[in-house]
Amino acid sequence: MLGAAASWTLPVFLEKTFFALDALAAEAATQAVTGKDGTILVVLQMAGGNDGLNMVVPYADDAYHVARPRLRLAPDQVLKINNYIALNPKLAGMKSLYDEGHLAIVQGVGYPNPNRSHFRSTEIWQTASDAARTLNEGWLGRYFDNCCSGADPTVGVAIGEETPQAFAAKNPTGVTFSRPEQFRFRPSEPNNGQMSAEEILFRQLNEGGGSDESGTAATNAGGSIGEIPGKARNDLSTLDFLQRTALDAQLSSDKILAIARKYKSTVPYPQGQLAASLNIISRMIAGGLPTRVYYASHGGFDTHAGQINTHERLMGEFNDAVRAFVADLKQQGNFDRVVLMTFSEFGRRVQENANGGTDHGAAAPMFVLGGAVKAGLFGKYPSLTELDRGDLKFNTDFRSVYGTVLDRWLKAPSQTVLGRKFPALGIV
Amino acid sequence: MLTALPDSKWNDATAAHLLNRAAFGGTPDEIERTRQKGLTAAVRDFVDVKADAANVAPPAWAHPRNIRAQRMEIKAAKDRGENFQSKVREVRMMEGDEMIDLRRWWLDRMLNGPAPLLEKMTLFWHGHFATSIQKVRDAYWMWLQNDTLRRNALGNFGALAKKMSRDPAMMIYLDLQQSRQEHPNENWARELMELFTVGIGNYSEQDIRESARAFTGYRIDFTTQQFHFAPFQQDHQSKAFMGRNGNLNGDEIIDMLVSNPACAQFIGRKLWRFFVEDEPSSTVIDSVAGTVRKHNFEMRPVLHEIFSSGEFYSDRAMGSQIKSPVQYIVQTSKLLNAAAPPPLAAQNAMRQMGQILFAPPNVKGWDGGKQWISTSTLLFRYNFANYLINGDAILPPNLRQPRQGADVGFGRAAQYAEQIKRDPIDVGKLVPADLRAKSHEVVDLLAKRFFQTRPAQKEIDAFAQFLESRGPEITDANLRELIHLMMSTPQFQLA
Repeated sequence: MLGAAASWTLPVFLEKTFFALDALAAEAATQAVTGKDGTILVVLQMAGGNDGLNMVVPYADDAYHVARPRLRLAPDQVLKINNYIALNPKLAGMKSLYDEGHLAIVQGVGYPNPNRSHFRSTEIWQTASDAARTLNEGWLGRYFDNCCSGADPTVGVAIGEETPQAFAAKNPTGVTFSRPEQFRFRPSEPNNGQMSAEEILFRQLNEGGGSDESGTAATNAGGSIGEIPGKARNDLSTLDFLQRTALDAQLSSDKILAIARKYKSTVPYPQGQLAASLNIISRMIAGGLPTRVYYASHGGFDTHAGQINTHERLMGEFNDAVRAFVADLKQQGNFDRVVLMTFSEFGRRVQENANGGTDHGAAAPMFVLGGAVKAGLFGKYPSLTELDRGDLKFNTDFRSVYGTVLDRWLKAPSQTVLGRKFPALGIV
Repeated sequence: MLTALPDSKWNDATAAHLLNRAAFGGTPDEIERTRQKGLTAAVRDFVDVKADAANVAPPAWAHPRNIRAQRMEIKAAKDRGENFQSKVREVRMMEGDEMIDLRRWWLDRMLNGPAPLLEKMTLFWHGHFATSIQKVRDAYWMWLQNDTLRRNALGNFGALAKKMSRDPAMMIYLDLQQSRQEHPNENWARELMELFTVGIGNYSEQDIRESARAFTGYRIDFTTQQFHFAPFQQDHQSKAFMGRNGNLNGDEIIDMLVSNPACAQFIGRKLWRFFVEDEPSSTVIDSVAGTVRKHNFEMRPVLHEIFSSGEFYSDRAMGSQIKSPVQYIVQTSKLLNAAAPPPLAAQNAMRQMGQILFAPPNVKGWDGGKQWISTSTLLFRYNFANYLINGDAILPPNLRQPRQGADVGFGRAAQYAEQIKRDPIDVGKLVPADLRAKSHEVVDLLAKRFFQTRPAQKEIDAFAQFLESRGPEITDANLRELIHLMMSTPQFQLA
């Protein structure tokens, strides 16, 4: 056992820190939510450049069938939206959402002077910059910086190994993990259900203010960054900053693990990484994690060759995972609180290539869905014959979609976050 | 002017500080040796490295291999309607393996090389002239740039900037190689001013347009993979740049920028932020800029002056810097008296901690400082420390011994497990056997090794009591637990 010098006992520690967390929620000054009422945005990245033409199909356009002799989807296969466009046959769940009035399809989304490099175009979407400018902070990071200072670090949650550039902020906020069990301190000796001496000491060392001789642990233990009114991370000394981040990590980790243990979905989810990610997100929502933005990623869209099978599989995975997620949210009674938005760094070339695939393109559609979303078609389908270097021309700037979601859904001033005002869309 | 540190202030703490910043940290033995040398000799040994220290043998694969032929082969297969993807994949795989090896090679230089300041300055310039494999897509070019940075790291800044304007990786990264007389590309010209020399607010859009014309004719020969100059591509007309008119060429543009007073401020500030403190006062930046100007942008005397200054060893500077992920990996290996982590594990760790060598997030490089730390990266550091100390035994069993059929990625997982094998550290090298029974002495010894400043007595006691609670016999595993706990603290992140 630990002796008197290390006399913080575990229950007291937990009581203290969880109390601090409740106090934080109660005093929420800015955008922090209690976890039970605020609106939530889920950003779903389709990494690699999704073929928008075979997702939202201009089935009645001859030019489509001419340009895609091998990849074209026949009019009798597709799920018709109107007499010009239809959804990929694998998107039956999305078609139902559309019919129920919960799916907005934004057509022809892109930006001026499109870049066809994955790396650069992804960066442009993640930072919401102009094609000719480089920005350090991500668009969601700027939202955290400007609208969520003082919020719980779990205000942004990315599911994955790496924090997306969209989260990059002046004051790093948000947590990233693939599985909740990973987002915790792993002691040298695996714990057998009971907290080991090692883990207890670890908690003391990371309680915040531990080495500060002038302040006792008791006064500092509740000192999560979020709790200090008006004190941004930048104002803290480096050691203070580290100590408070360490405490925040503790609190977030405890909270996420507790929720993961307590909340399981009763709705069945399909196999696959995207479904697993959305399942974690739904459990975190059910558990009331005070998160405004979740981020999930679906990879494999760079279909230069043999696209037909790959893209069909990807569409199926996307459809099935999102359908399960929506059913889960409906069962929780949270569907009206959540908006899910898809994006990809670019669409693909109109003309298929010699390998049964497609090369990097430009404009493509985005999906925005949720209980509060206004269904319909937004923007207009780009011409398949008036092209820019073989690619569809955009007519809706992606920052119009971001801006609308910021202003109308997250209730955050989009001009502050995006640097200027983009025309709003009637999607929410 | 920077003030010189009085000899009376030279002690273990200041010696440790010099090792942390001019190198990648030191063990207690190294700190002791550095202190004994005295300030002047210690600084001189770091700064006055022999010229041949930059003659580092490249990795075996790092030679030109005719990118043009490779690309033509792929294009021909594509035109014939053949499956060119397998060839593309092959090239990508090779590129991936080479990058893992290039990162291993550089980390090895930092950890075991004879001139750590040379590596630290190469790292500084890598962040300054940030260039990423993600766009360059050729490991040879990334190595070539690294070699150029190392050879000029302690030399003249203006000369280095000119070399960078002719560096294939940089030329691809900032589209200089696509710049033509009829269509001058402004990307390089803009970043040259905004990020490499004078900083924002010290040039106009016209300066960008005009100087872009001066850099036309810079090309890459894709067969030899080297820079070459194409005079017929060069714009010979007069350019109006920063108040001067004439047929200026690229080198003249760089000369003009370096002689602009804003450049010494810009470079001085960046050096100071990298080596000393995140938020310097304007007074100290003026002093450093003066030093940079006084030595005509020669880095060796500038660094000599910085590392000898009282400002460098000020209370606010010492122990206040968050270790960059790269420093974390190198310094931790050093402190644990262990080998660098396996290349794949190191690369994965750099990714998760937010600093992948040869892949900075964008042309601005890494911000550093508090940007390194989020709840996720901090927890990752703690858990990575566990792996570094206890080896792959701490990883979840499914990763160490993947069962066939358990996962679609079985083949890859098995290979991965093989590539991240690591033995527990030998604690006998850190704690003499006869000391084990004396918990307070063990804690003192290890605290001295792992912390900048001695932890509060309360923590020292807690560490000692933890050790006693593991007894009566203190095993290697117990000591490793203790070391892991020491490294799993906010304090350990500082250097």
